[in-house]
Amino acid sequence: MNAIPMSVTVNGEAHALTVPPHETLIECLRDRLGLLGVKKSCDVQVCGACTVLVDDRPVSACTVLAFEARGKHVRTIEGLAHGDDLHPVQEAFVEHGALQCGFCTPGMIMATVALLAENPSPTADEVKHYMRGNICRCTGYKRIVEAILAASERLATGPRTTDGG
Amino acid sequence: MLRPFELCEPASVAEASELLLRHGEAARIYAGGTELILAMKEGLIHYDYLVNVKTVPGLAGVRLDADGSLRIGAATPHRVLERDPSVSERFPAIARMEADVANVRVREVGTLGGNLCFAEPHADPGALLQVFDATVRLERKGGARTIPLERLFVGPFETCLEGDELLTEIVVPPLAPRSAAVYLKFGFLERPSVGVGVAVTLADGHVADARIAVGSVGPVPRRMRDAEARLQDRPVADSEAALAEAGRIAARASDAITDLHGSAEYKEHLVGVLLRRAFQAALAAVAGSERR
Amino acid sequence: MAVDRLTVVGRSVPRLDAHDKVTGAARYVSDFILPGMAHAKLWRSPVPHARLLAVDGARAAAAPGVLAVCTADDLPVKRLAYGPAYKDQPILAREVVRYAGEPVVAVVADTPARADAALALIDVRYEELPAATNAEEAQAPGAPVIHTTLDRAGHFRDLDGLRPVAGTNVCQHYRYERGDLARAVAEADLVVDDVYRYPALSHHALEPHCAVARVDADGITVWSGTQHPFPVRKDLAEIFDVPLAHVQVVVPLIGGAFGGKCYTKIEPLAAALAARVRRPVRLALTLEESARTITRHSVVVRLRTAVRRDGTLLARECDVVLDTGAYADIGPRVATKAGSRAPGPYRIPCLRIDARCVYTNNVPAGAYRGYGVPQVTWASESQIDVIAERLGIDPFTLRERNLLKRGEEYVAGDTPLDGDMADGLGQAARAIGWGAPLTRNRGRGLACAMKDGGGTHAVSTAVVHINADGSVILLSGSVEVGQGARTALAQIAAETLGVPFEAVVVPAPDTSLTPYDHGTSASRSTTVMGLAVAAAAKDAREQLLALAAKLLDAPPSALTIREGKIAHGNRTLTLAEVISGHFGLVGGEVTGVGTFVPGEWSGSLGGATVFWETGMGAAEVEVDRETGEVHVRKYVSAADVGQAINPRECAAQDEGAAMQGIGPALFEARVGERGQLLNPGLIDYRVPTFADLPEALDSLLIENADGPGPFGAKGVGESGTFCAAPAIGNAVARAVGVRLTELPMTPERVWHALVSKGASP
Repeated sequence: MNAIPMSVTVNGEAHALTVPPHETLIECLRDRLGLLGVKKSCDVQVCGACTVLVDDRPVSACTVLAFEARGKHVRTIEGLAHGDDLHPVQEAFVEHGALQCGFCTPGMIMATVALLAENPSPTADEVKHYMRGNICRCTGYKRIVEAILAASERLATGPRTTDGG
Repeated sequence: MLRPFELCEPASVAEASELLLRHGEAARIYAGGTELILAMKEGLIHYDYLVNVKTVPGLAGVRLDADGSLRIGAATPHRVLERDPSVSERFPAIARMEADVANVRVREVGTLGGNLCFAEPHADPGALLQVFDATVRLERKGGARTIPLERLFVGPFETCLEGDELLTEIVVPPLAPRSAAVYLKFGFLERPSVGVGVAVTLADGHVADARIAVGSVGPVPRRMRDAEARLQDRPVADSEAALAEAGRIAARASDAITDLHGSAEYKEHLVGVLLRRAFQAALAAVAGSERR
Repeated sequence: MAVDRLTVVGRSVPRLDAHDKVTGAARYVSDFILPGMAHAKLWRSPVPHARLLAVDGARAAAAPGVLAVCTADDLPVKRLAYGPAYKDQPILAREVVRYAGEPVVAVVADTPARADAALALIDVRYEELPAATNAEEAQAPGAPVIHTTLDRAGHFRDLDGLRPVAGTNVCQHYRYERGDLARAVAEADLVVDDVYRYPALSHHALEPHCAVARVDADGITVWSGTQHPFPVRKDLAEIFDVPLAHVQVVVPLIGGAFGGKCYTKIEPLAAALAARVRRPVRLALTLEESARTITRHSVVVRLRTAVRRDGTLLARECDVVLDTGAYADIGPRVATKAGSRAPGPYRIPCLRIDARCVYTNNVPAGAYRGYGVPQVTWASESQIDVIAERLGIDPFTLRERNLLKRGEEYVAGDTPLDGDMADGLGQAARAIGWGAPLTRNRGRGLACAMKDGGGTHAVSTAVVHINADGSVILLSGSVEVGQGARTALAQIAAETLGVPFEAVVVPAPDTSLTPYDHGTSASRSTTVMGLAVAAAAKDAREQLLALAAKLLDAPPSALTIREGKIAHGNRTLTLAEVISGHFGLVGGEVTGVGTFVPGEWSGSLGGATVFWETGMGAAEVEVDRETGEVHVRKYVSAADVGQAINPRECAAQDEGAAMQGIGPALFEARVGERGQLLNPGLIDYRVPTFADLPEALDSLLIENADGPGPFGAKGVGESGTFCAAPAIGNAVARAVGVRLTELPMTPERVWHALVSKGASP
């Protein structure tokens, strides 16, 4: 087993790590870096609970290998808010009641951030299509769609940008 | 959980081929990893060496040839094909198919070459690309060959790749003028249950060329030439009966199996339904492009 | 207190846990890390029924990092078996395995990967036994008897009356009879007789089961995502033979449960392993292992209904068979409830009910949102539409004619119906556009159902501490599974005390600190725990007023508390001033205690019903005749909540429940083959996604402040799951003329039905 040295930026902070090839990104983020907001659920890339952004692209941290993040910028739910200021997507999820047990919420929010960066004004159908791979067992999705559409409007009119900083 | 393995990062196709030769069955090409790592995590397969081809220069990317062919590097992620303007303008059926593969995270990471080489029977690209008469370039150290895509698939999870060969490029020739392709799929599980690709070329109110491919239903995606022959040279206005017959032939030829996705009988029925709908949608697409 | 003067209750305040949940700061059991924590992985039986001959764990024990390889005989416990109805389930299988996936050997290692790797080195020899892999096989003559003796758990009072059938696999036979069935059938103008089938389901809460245990000189501490911290504590105390006070169960946030985390699951194993290796042990299952831990019962319902030409229901004969798997879990109570609820919310003079809970060699089945009601409602409400069609009566009219009215008894001696179901069904029907013209291949369907809510003989206690600065700590054993219990209970406390919502903090339940609560199930927290919270807050409020009365030199009855201030005329005191004024320092606190004790023992359900949880559903579907695919275009769910404590969260619960009804209606099902689960994970077990969200999904909250809970509240959260399947099935029948009797209504099943009717093109 060869160890892979890598430099990676996680939520804006540079890290120099050495990882074995078979270490998954979720193991790296949770066990090495303590980013416990990255949730492990289905472990087969279906549910999206472990969604994080690698260079702004959403991936399943459960199945992507950690070394793939070398030289890249990884963003997790922990990197979204600025101190006490929630990101507009986070605010919208709170205001629209788009969460219950909250286990899907970090992945759901990160996928939303990626969606809105790519398509700032999605229709409800576009939201449903893009988010199809993020599963929520509690809400029935209706309020999540509403929150995403509201966040899209807020980002369009608000002073902040989708990258949250 | 993933068992340990060694990662090899070749700088060229030749070096990758050498690594495959050296390690034999203990090595496997690793591109996006969305299928491979999943299967390894589940303990279904294991390799001691993964040969990462994403770092090999030139294996990722899309470009249009002078003759209008689309050349797709094997390590190109699905998401690139979904969003690339040249793909959506010249090959809209491919862009639409790609936009519906698995979920957005898998599409960001998974590659077209990886999808074809893994040869999971329940998959989309293998069927649609066949109606374009797509070819694949297979390279090894000191040699290369180009074969029709349909010959790549040998069985479930099995391709004709030699031990030291890599798929490096997928070439999709353009359809003739007055043509359109459509891919329709059906299913309610995570992977598709039935997929039908159709390409139609019209001339003088007749079907000048009809190509049909069926995927996900049987062990491999395949062209349905006997079914195509039923539609060939038919007047467009009078294709209903021929379509039904073509659907029956394609259904029989699809080697449908009964599994969690449904019974063979139902899948055969769906082949007929999707074939007719795809054909009619393709006709409408040709008509639509001519109105513009 | 007049409802129009409410300031906190009835408002959609943000959830207490929302900020933590959107920032990733929320902590679940699976996020717990203890110093020196070891990790356990389980070797599970590959076959459904076998005699264990030998376990060779020597090679695994010698593997790197492995601390222990344990079979049942290696666990330092005083008793191996547990279970809420019967003590029939071993912590690890001993001598016999009874289902494929049953834990047999546990490996503890310093890392999860090393524990996992060592599993491959375990050698288990076993001799396969004949298996009964469905309830029909298990009831056939000569079927293997899966448990030859049954040891009653003796924990829940209503389960004292269980009636197992000796020498068979039936672990509970519920019977109920009233009226003269033969005569009613003879007098009827129409008798319909059908069999309906509902498959086993996986809960698939996104957080799989996880428990972290520590055993030291102070006793046993288990952090677990359980819905029943106090019953789990009791099981652990019995298993280890220690006093209750030596067992501490702590429940942080839970990543979904839906009944799958009711009662004791993996906690005893985690604790036994921790005791064995003398280190904290984390036992975190995968989602697929959770699917091998607990399921929803598959149920076969035979219904024979006698009816007069004018639609009056005369008699219903219900034969309900539940596959409870290899261990009873709470299956016997689910069977009792399924049986007792099978006739539906109607006035039916004559009933005969038989419900059998049957052991099989499948994964154990237990609680799942609705507790048998979704299964029997699929049957009973489908058949109501069959009757309507045969008699040529509008399905709404037929239901309206027979529905129990407010104040009528479902069963003599039990709580009368406390709502107006016909009104609720009418609201749902109007919202779906009942009677309006439809395009081809579209149809609308209705359904309604009820269950006794609030739990059976379920005690709850709450404590309210008012600190010296006026902030409030609410101690309640209700666990936060996502339903918003902490928020609703904080609203009830704030409203009752007269303090701002923001003043109230609700810590995680901890059996060593939090007063007793029966558990978080049966839609009971807002109503039953809510009453305890209101009583505790009232107790504290009265103490505060008495203290303030002295300071203000006025009678307590002349004082008011609003917004955290006590006023007498123009004079006001903050709560902080009252408390520090009384204690004479910046310290001290006022503590209120409230307890809910259920009423007298009565009614055929084995307990007086706290409230009736009613659900009304209306669906509009479009059917693709060629593929058989059913699209739910609109779905309306109506829930009688009495008084919404937090309207947004009530509606959100109901919407989520409706989607959990739509999934099994159309595609969710566990697929088994000879005792093997073929679709344990999410690749082949389909749950609802964004793509399944109907164009309109609406929840109507019915509020008449007529519930027994605080401010007139009734529980909500399960009722939305009752009606989706029959409403959709009825809509499909009205759209394309085919009626399915087996769920899910997959495209293939609908297509087959259309083909056999000659209705597919």
